[in-house]
Amino acid sequence: MSNIDVKGQQIEVDEDGFLVDPDVWNQDIVEAFAKLEDVSELTEDHWKVINYLRDYYKQFGIAPMIRKLCKDTGFSLKQIYDMFPSGPAKGACKLAGLPKPTGCV
Amino acid sequence: MKIPLHMAKEKDLQAAGLRAVPEEEKQQALVKGIDQYRQWARSLMVMLETCTKCGACANACHSYLGTGDFNNIPAARADLFRKLYKRYFTWTGKTIGRYIGAEDYDAETLAKWVTYFYQCNECRRCAVYCPFGIDTAEITIAARSIMTALGVVPRFMTGVAANMIKTGNNMGIPKPATIDCCEFMEDEMKEETGLDIKIPVDKPDSDILYIPSSADFFSNVDTMIGVAKFFHAIGANWTIPSTVLEAANFGLLFSMDAMKEQNQRMREAAKMVGAKLVVQGECGHGWRAAKMYTEGANGPAPFGLVHILDYAYQNMDKLKFEKLPWRVTLHDPCNYARAGDIIEQPRELLKACVSEFVEMTPNRERNFCCGGGSGILMDEMMDIRMQLGKKKAEQVKELLPLDFFATPCSICKAQLPHVMKFYGMEDLKMGGVMDVVGKAIVLA
Repeated sequence: MSNIDVKGQQIEVDEDGFLVDPDVWNQDIVEAFAKLEDVSELTEDHWKVINYLRDYYKQFGIAPMIRKLCKDTGFSLKQIYDMFPSGPAKGACKLAGLPKPTGCV
Repeated sequence: MKIPLHMAKEKDLQAAGLRAVPEEEKQQALVKGIDQYRQWARSLMVMLETCTKCGACANACHSYLGTGDFNNIPAARADLFRKLYKRYFTWTGKTIGRYIGAEDYDAETLAKWVTYFYQCNECRRCAVYCPFGIDTAEITIAARSIMTALGVVPRFMTGVAANMIKTGNNMGIPKPATIDCCEFMEDEMKEETGLDIKIPVDKPDSDILYIPSSADFFSNVDTMIGVAKFFHAIGANWTIPSTVLEAANFGLLFSMDAMKEQNQRMREAAKMVGAKLVVQGECGHGWRAAKMYTEGANGPAPFGLVHILDYAYQNMDKLKFEKLPWRVTLHDPCNYARAGDIIEQPRELLKACVSEFVEMTPNRERNFCCGGGSGILMDEMMDIRMQLGKKKAEQVKELLPLDFFATPCSICKAQLPHVMKFYGMEDLKMGGVMDVVGKAIVLA
């Protein structure tokens, strides 16, 4: 467990750099994570993915199936990797403040 | 060499129902742990007593071949355990210990155990080449299980264990999400085939209980879709259980107690729907845990138990395929080929489904592990995982070009895309054998 500095505020992240408490999530944290995840600029498309993940997580308590994420946002898996270089699980979920998907992934 | 593994802290242990033994009591607890384990696992005793250090295992082990680290030679790895066994449980070890390779517990013991028992994929290839059949996987399983009881366990394992306690699967998928995933996959199949193919959840009075890998509800969608199409094609009365949406049984990889508990979950789920047959999904070690330990751990089972690849193979006469114009090879998951009797079935299925099936060398029970086996899937272990996957990458490279690489185990499916990318084969398409069955099957 460690902290990252987000505009002077200390935010707790786990060993994999994911938010410990998904409820503290805000736009500043997304921007801080974006830099760590090699996302150069947060576009409208990035936000579409991030908001979709957050809404799904709020409703179901887990990240959606990757194929469902692609279908519902209209982005191909390749486009998601272009936007979030570490991919939907390790990149997009981190920015959206979800816990790290674990198990055989 | 120390490995960068993130170990569980107090909070992680608690969430997994575990606790840390205080530092000053660790030695005593470790010795007691070895004693208890050897009482019920005679196999461990035989393996600890037998090794002659002939070295036949060295070149059989992809972990040693990939890392070049002496202690990753299976005999050397096992010796980390054997030294303590000798010191505390043999009369020669107690009296003239240092002359016969016995060693006292010291400040480095647990660090060494973590380092080397978490670089063993429990693949059992060494056992195939050892003239005595010494199976280092058994020793690794024992060492990890003993360490877990001390609270010395990777955070990755406790995270999975906590999800299993909370939701009945490694990923932590709650039932409403499971139902949402099934509806999504049913819609996908409807779009593709025009047919109403169902994935029933907790359906009472089902003949078959199908236990998928939870990763099939996140990344390996085509495996679950292939299975649903297959059950549809044979007109099966089947369901998946929300209470144990997990063919994997990580207990085998870090705690025999956890393995036993999960096995009990599977039995209860079968009872709840009245299933006469439990079919296990594409997961290597989970199949080993189910096949080899179901009755041993929890007594006689009132249902049959079969692997999906075996069950699909047995039903091939009821299936119609349109061959895909693909050149395909098969990676034999270690626990199928060396611990689970699933060797020819995936080959027969693939041959029926694709135009060209090619074997990698070596194959079947001599195949190399993907390098992620035994749950070495932690991000912080990525550099070591790539070294462990080196032999596999070399095997695949020799067969290029390939249209598809069949890897019918969720750990392999998680590990191999990284390995292929690292060794310059990023574009290779991969997935399960049931994925291929689902694409080639002709449905009425």
